[in-house]
Amino acid sequence: MTSSHDPQLLKGVLSALLLRLLAERESYGYEVVQRLHETGFADVLEGTVYPALARLEREGRLATRLVPSPSGPARKYYRLTPDGHEYLRAATDMWNRHVDGVNAVLHRPLPNDPEGTPT
Amino acid sequence: MTHPVTLLDRLRIERLVWTLDQQLYDLPHHSRVAKRREVRANLLEASRDIGTSVALKRLGGSRRLAEEYLEAELGRRPRHSWVAAAYFLTAVPLLLNFFLSEAAGAYEQAITAADPHATGTYTWQGISYLQSPIVYTFDQGNPGHVGGAWSPLVYVLWIGGTIACGRLWRLLPRR
Repeated sequence: MTSSHDPQLLKGVLSALLLRLLAERESYGYEVVQRLHETGFADVLEGTVYPALARLEREGRLATRLVPSPSGPARKYYRLTPDGHEYLRAATDMWNRHVDGVNAVLHRPLPNDPEGTPT
Repeated sequence: MTHPVTLLDRLRIERLVWTLDQQLYDLPHHSRVAKRREVRANLLEASRDIGTSVALKRLGGSRRLAEEYLEAELGRRPRHSWVAAAYFLTAVPLLLNFFLSEAAGAYEQAITAADPHATGTYTWQGISYLQSPIVYTFDQGNPGHVGGAWSPLVYVLWIGGTIACGRLWRLLPRR
């Protein structure tokens, strides 16, 4: 399990991750965090996830409903709107293009020169 | 393993929710209430799951959370502040009226100090640019006065100061 991520890098893709998780299944805030942790993002703070959900809701990519909870206050469940699905598709394509581009550079063979200077 | 949520745990959670709420006053009322409820519900759930101390720690602190919420709701651009505007709007009349009243009282005392049995009408022009003239009426040293209202300039400064303090021009839609 990965225990550490670059916060800046993660912030850029957090929206896409949240949308993907919520596209799989409607969830409430704390459950989303737990699912993120299970996926390997163990160091993601709740304080980062809840505002990100609020932002996606404000942008019209998530819809919410309150569901009574047997163990406490009503939970606010998030699900994707059609805009959310559209954004998720676009974000996934963009991420794949980034990964391909970054991998294309990072996986180039290095020259044998110990100084690393290209010949 | 489920952790019991004691009364003390509830109080710790409520303290964080209250502190967070105080820092979200620039959000619309319904949005603030919704965030309060959601954070409380999530914290209670997390508290049962991993314990209150860890749950609070993983939230990252109320200040940071509030900042993230404000950024999520209002965007990254420079923001207005209703709280700062409200402080200025209420503090200025309180302070200004206090000082103007003290000045009017001092003038009144000066007249009675000069003549304890003063009788007649006295006019003081008030503090330049800030207020209208004040007319004092004395009857055997018993004072009364009328006037001293704010000048139009004070109203302009008051409104202008409120806008400046709250950076309210940032509410205007951007082209």
